[in-house]
Amino acid sequence: MTDAKTATASWRAYALVAPALAVIVAFFVLPLMLSAVLAFRARDGGFTFEHFAKAWDLYQTDLAFTIGIVLLSTVLIGVVAIAIAGYLTLGENPRAVAILRWLYRWPLFIPFIVTGQIMRTFLAKNGMLNHVLIGSGLIEPLSAQSLLDWRGIVVAFVWKQAPFVTLLVAGAMASLEPQHIEAARNLGARRLRVLFDIVLPQVRGTLLVGLVLSFVTMLSVLSVPMMINPNSPTMITVDVAYRISTLSDYAVANALCLMSLIVAATGAWFYLRHAASERSQA
Amino acid sequence: MQFRAIFAVGALAAALAAPGSVGAQTLNVVTAGDQNMVDYVNNYLGPKFEAMNPGVKVRAVGTGPGDAGSQKIYEKLSAQQKANVLAWDTDVAVVHQRGAATMVNEKLLMPYRNDVAAGKLVSRDTAKNALGANVDGYVLPMFHSQIAFAYNPDLVKNPPKSFAELTEWVKKNPKQFGYNGVKGGMSGVGFVMGWVNAYSTVGDKLEKGPYAASDRAAIDKSLVGLKDFNQYVVMTPGNAGTLDMLNRGEIAMGPVWVDMFYTWQAEGKLSPKVKLALPSPGLPGQPMYYVIPAKAANAALAKKFIDFAESPEVQADGIVKQFNWYPGIDPQFVQAKLTPADWNKLFTDISPADLAKNGRPFPLSDYFTDIVEGYERVVLK
Repeated sequence: MTDAKTATASWRAYALVAPALAVIVAFFVLPLMLSAVLAFRARDGGFTFEHFAKAWDLYQTDLAFTIGIVLLSTVLIGVVAIAIAGYLTLGENPRAVAILRWLYRWPLFIPFIVTGQIMRTFLAKNGMLNHVLIGSGLIEPLSAQSLLDWRGIVVAFVWKQAPFVTLLVAGAMASLEPQHIEAARNLGARRLRVLFDIVLPQVRGTLLVGLVLSFVTMLSVLSVPMMINPNSPTMITVDVAYRISTLSDYAVANALCLMSLIVAATGAWFYLRHAASERSQA
Repeated sequence: MQFRAIFAVGALAAALAAPGSVGAQTLNVVTAGDQNMVDYVNNYLGPKFEAMNPGVKVRAVGTGPGDAGSQKIYEKLSAQQKANVLAWDTDVAVVHQRGAATMVNEKLLMPYRNDVAAGKLVSRDTAKNALGANVDGYVLPMFHSQIAFAYNPDLVKNPPKSFAELTEWVKKNPKQFGYNGVKGGMSGVGFVMGWVNAYSTVGDKLEKGPYAASDRAAIDKSLVGLKDFNQYVVMTPGNAGTLDMLNRGEIAMGPVWVDMFYTWQAEGKLSPKVKLALPSPGLPGQPMYYVIPAKAANAALAKKFIDFAESPEVQADGIVKQFNWYPGIDPQFVQAKLTPADWNKLFTDISPADLAKNGRPFPLSDYFTDIVEGYERVVLK
């Protein structure tokens, strides 16, 4: 190709991506920068750290709480996803595999806010879960307790996000060379051994991507903590909504948003590092 | 988050700019508050007004509950003002007190009370004063709502008559009182306001002013007691959450909105046994206001609409009988239009005398902010 041709081609390529790029700049980059600017702007228009100081002073517990909840949920999602996807790949009872395959995707199609609503009645002190446990004689009525605190949020997150990661991981497992698994089985490896030594190392990348995406998604969910546990300590999203709706204080809200952006960025860093290593291998 | 606000305003504008305004006149009503506010205009007020005024179409849009809903209306009007738009596309807005105060202050509203006949029917102080701001002439209260304790009489024989009695009661009955903090809705915020009013030395000043930042120390001091109090209570997830927990028997008492309480009972969502009590020195309540934007496109029609909505007939049948709110105009004009049974239903547990004595306004805007921030600093940390 001559230089002139290359230039036309690249000009065309830019023209093709321009609309998408414009949308991203106008509706994502620009508001993000505005938010960052407002977080540092004092009432008189000067530069200040005052909003961050206030956000840190009032909400450091909530920040730690948020990170804790989201990390714990991510770990549990990983465990559930590996268990389900592993059984789908290595399970020997075709009927059980079919039923599981059909069932596990349901929560994917249920919005977070509906999940919050379901959990609110399911996990309450006199809710359905405790009724079932009491009815089956597993716990005494007096020892029934409400799970509508951090535990409720974790349950809702895992319930909602595990199918998403399972979907990715199960897909990756299905595309593995079946000979690897068969060879290991022929040599007498048990299924659990096959899962951990043969299958998992090969889908590690997909699992990581799924978990990072879940981590970032959960960090930004407002509806679930709002419905299950909006009281202290709660998640940063609730505090952001509260600063705006009750106090119309966009400055501190923006400071809180930037703080959670930093947390999300660590997730993105993992993701990018993985993507880069993939590319260098390819 | 700025982006979300802009998006919400944009969505609102798109909803209002939808076709339908050609030929016939369309009255655009934008209301803050829960879905029941939109239902009230669309299902009750609108059809009646349309029947009386052929060719007129009433369209209601909701902007969401709490002060956030009023904030969205404010942002929209303010944007139109800054863009020098000549005819604003909101004809009637229904807003909270804080919203109304800001809008009057920034000249976003039109004075209209003296132009409508029903303007003479209002008597409460809230028609002139919104959290310390002078809104005289710019607003008419659509209704008044009140926060009170709801309790289960099977578990609580004698409900506490004051905050002092309540403090004793929760120590004897731990985890039986529940409220929703300051982030889960206004019934919890109202309870905290009531607490500070009862236990701080600033008392009346919170409502009447003048505001002094130095009162923060007195407010924080009263909140230390609330931190101790919180060890004996349950935190509920929201206004509806308190009623849910009462209904499931998980708590025996908690602060709720009176209108929500009656509506839930009427719909069978709350046990008919649960009752209300209003302790001294009181809990706050607030009106919602009808306002007309300064450059409303259909201002004359808007005045006619509000005049109709404030008429004793509509206040009696719509506000009191169907939606269980306290009337926005002077009760004496409303009582005459209702059967004694319907009237008494609203005052079964809380007598008009109790309501007059212990129904308080919310604190002034600056005190309000100091109290909720004090709560975060002193109670939550």
